[in-house]
Amino acid sequence: MELLRERLIDCGWKDEMKALCRAHVKKKGRNNVTVDDLVHLITPKGRASVPDSVKAELLQRIRTFLMSAAL
Amino acid sequence: MCARNSIYTNPKPCKHLADYKLRHGFNTYDSIRYCLKTTPNGRTRVAKHTTKIPRCSFCDRYQGRLYFCLMCSSLWCPTHILLHTQSEKGHEVAIDMDRSELYCCLCCDQVYDPDFDKVVVCNQVKDLPGGSKSKTNRFEASGERSSKRKRLDSGIGLDLKKSKLLVSMRDRRAKSCYPLGLRGLNNLGSTCFMNSVLQALLHAPPLRNYFLNDRHNSVQCRKRSGEKLCLLCDIDAISSAMFSGDRTPYTPAHFLYSWWQHASNLASYEEQDAHEFFMSVLDGIHEKESKIRNSGKDDGDCQCIAHRAFSGLLRSDVTCISCGFTSTTYDPCVDISLNMDTSNLSSSNANKHIKPDEKTSASTLSGCLNLFTRAERLGSDQKLHCQNCQELRDSSKQLSIRRLPLVLCLHIKRVEHSLVRKISRKINQYMQFPFSLDMTPYLSSSIVRSKFGNRIFAFEYDNFNSSAAYEIFAVIAHSGMLESGHYVTYLRLKNQWYKCDDAWISEVDEGIVRASQCYMLFYVQKLLYNKANEDSSFVRISPRRDPLESTAGCSQCNKLMQARPAKDNSSNNFLG
Repeated sequence: MELLRERLIDCGWKDEMKALCRAHVKKKGRNNVTVDDLVHLITPKGRASVPDSVKAELLQRIRTFLMSAAL
Repeated sequence: MCARNSIYTNPKPCKHLADYKLRHGFNTYDSIRYCLKTTPNGRTRVAKHTTKIPRCSFCDRYQGRLYFCLMCSSLWCPTHILLHTQSEKGHEVAIDMDRSELYCCLCCDQVYDPDFDKVVVCNQVKDLPGGSKSKTNRFEASGERSSKRKRLDSGIGLDLKKSKLLVSMRDRRAKSCYPLGLRGLNNLGSTCFMNSVLQALLHAPPLRNYFLNDRHNSVQCRKRSGEKLCLLCDIDAISSAMFSGDRTPYTPAHFLYSWWQHASNLASYEEQDAHEFFMSVLDGIHEKESKIRNSGKDDGDCQCIAHRAFSGLLRSDVTCISCGFTSTTYDPCVDISLNMDTSNLSSSNANKHIKPDEKTSASTLSGCLNLFTRAERLGSDQKLHCQNCQELRDSSKQLSIRRLPLVLCLHIKRVEHSLVRKISRKINQYMQFPFSLDMTPYLSSSIVRSKFGNRIFAFEYDNFNSSAAYEIFAVIAHSGMLESGHYVTYLRLKNQWYKCDDAWISEVDEGIVRASQCYMLFYVQKLLYNKANEDSSFVRISPRRDPLESTAGCSQCNKLMQARPAKDNSSNNFLG
């Protein structure tokens, strides 16, 4: 989990999401936005924009873990 | 981190949270404390059930965010938490389990409470490695190092590792990719003169390295001298604070107090002259050192850090006009004060005829230096005794630099005294200065040689001085009037200029620096400058590399990081 967080920060994903949130808040006004709003806004975009390299790396790690756990 | 205010306003609690707090106070916060678990990277989770997977009480969902009701400890996903609030009165406030953040179910939004955060942070600090229940300090073996750490503990109140973890976490969020060591200094009441000089001193490579390498050990210092006041100890403390990674402005109160003790005639809340302060600090450092070493060494050979860094040797040649006999003296100096090379200002020049093609526009540093090393005819009222002629004669005096210091401090005298009108005023004229300075023409070898015209053969000390090349690293600029003005320092770190205006640090373009009204210029020998900029191992002694540090940085830096594997030990990683 921590690795995922690290990777997402590294590749600038987190900053992109932050920028999206900021833009949204600017548009709506600071007091008219709730966390839920932001989550609903970000989730689809975020899921789509995770870089393939990050996905691949984590999948690989999960696979490795499962294989070692299965033995 | 540019213009972030150090004081930010806490968001006001929603009325549900306010009601809740009125009713329950800190009870639930306290009970939560035992459920909080801190992960190594500083994240705090609510982990009440260590064996079960937390699931929503309604839909059994375990993915995504889950909320933990503060009243009844039940778990809910965002979709269904409203059900809970509607069915149970008083259960409006919950915690986001993953992040330990408060959520108000009725407002459907995150809420903030400083008291809650206090509980969480205390817990974090306790839980992180090296906390109150610390096992043997792994670095005990390296004796001195760990004692420095412990000393910092007493100063900061947190274990260095913890504070670094907390700080590097915070830094990441703040997108701070400023070089290590940049930190604002709070103004304690017209103390910008002090702050500006401190910034320059602390970033002078020899001093920076001196303190980072723990060359001044406060514990030993106190044992040796028994005095409580030591300027070096205070500067050491400031240096530690500057390089700690914490970016909140630092308050050098203790240093100010110590300096007031040392320079009691300047102890007031009035503005002081930065140059005077600079001299006073160097003097204070030297005094302490010479007291310890009990040596009456003159300034030229003194080994105190102030002199090692700043001390140079000036040569003064006084020549009899009549017979040419020259007497030479050498004087040590810690800086060079230059008069400005303006030809159309002082009243003494009023009589001189200014040629139409003569450049009277801008003043330049080389012009000032030329003025400094020019042979000056001493007035007839200053006749000196010539040993050759055996009587008083008109003479001329010429200054040159016999030995250059490691750090060259050039003080531009911007005060003009008018004897006629008995007033002083500030010369606001812009002075152009280079970033790379070659001091060769002002060395004694060059000056003395030029006295004999254009000669080829070798003179007494004609060694090609490669250490005459300097690079600028700090500029103290003054704006305003003589009595009331403001000092700022521009620092050059890794070829990027930063403006240090008391508590505010910002990146600036070099054009701004060039256009500023320079008052004190700090140059360091080029070799040292290059070394300081590429050798980034001068950070806090940290044998254990925190995995966080390799990823700290803002999005621009991130692109750079991506090109390299995560745990890269190359010296390009300035936190490495």
